[in-house]
Amino acid sequence: MSSRKTRAPRELTADEREILEIRRERLRKRPEAAAGDEAVFWVAEFPVGDERYAVPLQRLRGSVPLRLVTPVPLSPPHVVGILRFQGQVLAALSLAVLLGGRGWRQDPAVLLVLEGPSGDLVALDCEQVPQPLAVPSSVVEAARGRGLETVAVVSLPGARQLNLIDLDRLLARVSEVGRV
Amino acid sequence: MSDPVILEIIKGFVIEAQDLTQRITRAVLRLERPGPGAATAAAYDDLCRALHTLKGAAGTLGFTDLSDAAHRIEDAMAVRRERLEPLPAALADAIFQSLDVLNLRAEAYAQERTDGLPDLAGPLERLQAALDGMPAPRAEAGSTAGPEAPAPAAPKEAAAADPGEWRVGQASVRQVIREVERLRELQLRLGERRRDMDRGLSILSRLGMLAETAEARAVLMSVSRTLADDTDEAASIVEALEEGVREITTMPVRTVLEPLHRAVRDLCRQLGKEARLSVVGAELSLDRRMLEALRGPLVHLVRNAVDHGVEMPEAREAAGKHREGSVVIRLEQVGNLAFIEVSDDGRGLDEVRIGEVAEAQGVLGAGEARGLTPHQLHQLAFRPHFSTRPEVSETSGRGVGLDVVQSEVHALGGRVEAHSSTGQGTRFTLTVPMELGSSPVLIVRCGEHSLGLPTMAVEQVRPARQGELRITRAGMHLVVNEQLLPLLDLGSLLGIRQPTAPHPGTPVAVVQAQGRRVGVSFDEVMGDRDLVIRPLPRELRSLDAYQGEAIYVHGELILVLRPDWLVQGGASRGRVAVQARRALVVDDSLTARAMHRSMLEAHGFTVHTAGNGSQALEQLRHSTYDVMIADIGMEGMDGYQLTRAVRGAQDTRQMPVVLVSAQDGADERQAGIEAGADGFLSKKECAAGRLLQEVQAVIGRREGAPVKKESV
Repeated sequence: MSSRKTRAPRELTADEREILEIRRERLRKRPEAAAGDEAVFWVAEFPVGDERYAVPLQRLRGSVPLRLVTPVPLSPPHVVGILRFQGQVLAALSLAVLLGGRGWRQDPAVLLVLEGPSGDLVALDCEQVPQPLAVPSSVVEAARGRGLETVAVVSLPGARQLNLIDLDRLLARVSEVGRV
Repeated sequence: MSDPVILEIIKGFVIEAQDLTQRITRAVLRLERPGPGAATAAAYDDLCRALHTLKGAAGTLGFTDLSDAAHRIEDAMAVRRERLEPLPAALADAIFQSLDVLNLRAEAYAQERTDGLPDLAGPLERLQAALDGMPAPRAEAGSTAGPEAPAPAAPKEAAAADPGEWRVGQASVRQVIREVERLRELQLRLGERRRDMDRGLSILSRLGMLAETAEARAVLMSVSRTLADDTDEAASIVEALEEGVREITTMPVRTVLEPLHRAVRDLCRQLGKEARLSVVGAELSLDRRMLEALRGPLVHLVRNAVDHGVEMPEAREAAGKHREGSVVIRLEQVGNLAFIEVSDDGRGLDEVRIGEVAEAQGVLGAGEARGLTPHQLHQLAFRPHFSTRPEVSETSGRGVGLDVVQSEVHALGGRVEAHSSTGQGTRFTLTVPMELGSSPVLIVRCGEHSLGLPTMAVEQVRPARQGELRITRAGMHLVVNEQLLPLLDLGSLLGIRQPTAPHPGTPVAVVQAQGRRVGVSFDEVMGDRDLVIRPLPRELRSLDAYQGEAIYVHGELILVLRPDWLVQGGASRGRVAVQARRALVVDDSLTARAMHRSMLEAHGFTVHTAGNGSQALEQLRHSTYDVMIADIGMEGMDGYQLTRAVRGAQDTRQMPVVLVSAQDGADERQAGIEAGADGFLSKKECAAGRLLQEVQAVIGRREGAPVKKESV
């Protein structure tokens, strides 16, 4: 006889959270140690049209196929709809619209579930499942130091450019647009 | 020994005071460090809200010493808040000491002690001295008010557990609630399976071959009956579990409302007014955490009603009213929603003054207030720092009260609204979702959308009949029981299509809310279910049209509409620019639709969308558009087929069409032109200017071309 456990994810106790936090810190440190002489910053990289974009890997909570999204009439144009993710209902937002109407190569098929500044989850669409990428921390800091934009342009070896999204600023802009 | 109910209330106040003290402490700590203006303003806002709530809660229980102390601290913050100055350490010390003593006194009241209470005068003197920049007076030896004397009030330890009782953490209870919710979803699915089974049986019966299928039908009927029994049993388990959890998680609302009677009396005496508080629904028990969170907002609203609403007795008599004002709190639980209404029969909100203050504060431009509806003006009263009182008194004038109400209710995922009628009174309605319970919802389809209508607001649903439809200058109307009701098209209200006149047979719901009734037409009734309505994600809470979302039978999400938004005719109606160009975007990708819509709306187009070719043709049957933008690679009917169908129909053969493709090949372009498209773009080219250029170009070309008159 087969039995299937289908309990909903239960809420974590404070102790469990602490343990997970310690484990997360360890995991976060591991790539830096492996890199040896230079500290690195891990990002999730994906294409938007002809350009490469990235979000900090530590903010990524999952990536799910872009389907079963319920459109919301009267919502601002950057809202694709709402969806269920691990028992929560999240807003799915169009990254291309938020970035100011860039073109795209193929219709987005993936939603990145990301943690916002207050711990709330939000989903952003993108064309492909993102790839992890280690970027030298010094390069990231230099790019971030150049301004207070939503996107920091990071120069990588081989004349490649990566647009690193500042999630907090991007989501702050969403709240502003939502209030208008 | 005091009344046990009052003692229970005072114990509740002690816990609330400790929570508020923690909030104040966090804000003071933030304010001790210089920070950016916005952060300082936010910390002051938080500090003043908490102090205001503390003052109100203490005043409500008649603890004037505590409410005076909170008021003194509030006063001390006023100038610094205005200048966004950080708090000097001496002032922060004095605030902490005052709060410590305040909490100790509150605890003493809860233990029915009145002797040997720690003295508040010392800390308040030090507070004044810190304000004046003077050296702080030394604390008297042995006084509990000295800096070293009282330790910050620790969170109250729960009473030692009775051996006959269980103690369960909040997280565990919430976990049980979630499991109950899952069981309810399972119950819904079981019901759906049974209906599927019955549909299958009915098909089998229609097919004939009754003898050959007799055995199979007997088995299926037996399974259907078992499923029905299982569904009933699941429903009964859900009900029993909910009842059990409800007993743990709820408390009688009277514990929160009881002190308000005294608050009204005391405030009336202070202000020379006469008013009586009545409560409808005091027998209810509601979610404990929700009630704790609403305690402060209710105090604010009731004090506001007496202070701002109810007139002086002579003025009331002169206006033909009873000299005693009436303040009413009405509570109702419908499904998992709590409705709380606080109303008075006073002078109503001063709309002129609200407009003047909003313009003076720069919230509105000069003269802009005149263009706002009364409802829009009423909502301005919830803005932070907004007060129509020119001077600050002990009860009002700081512009904190309604701001606190709104932020507390929003934190619970609820909403608050003000309604007022000059000379007749003001009504504040709070709608707050609760963890438990479900609400009956009518599910309807409108275009590609499934939407919920709370059944409590639906008087009747029926197909429109020819003789009941009337067209007047004010638009379409429906005759119901010899009464003419406005008839609204749900699709048009939601901005998903142009207004469609319902034809006989179109389903219409008569919706009532706030004393108004309207007819609402849509495409199809899909059924009714008991659903758990939850607030929308934070990014969408500003949308007035929805009460929240709910999970339907197969796990899909349903948007539940607000009846009061519907009876107001939907906010969207007034927003549509009459002269705007209309575009129809057809794409099976939600993102592509969002993208095109964003580009076109930014340049003044009114955009409707369709998810596939047949939906687009359905839209085109009853609406006209200046341009259609369609994806080529759609499932079912592709963009070429759609374009050919458009060109083949008399009404749309002149409509400009732009085809969009993920491919950028010459073959696609050529095939598009052959199908009858006016323009072609790859999705890569759909950067803002490019799509708009192409759309404007094709419209220009079509408008420049002589329009062929078609014979009928």
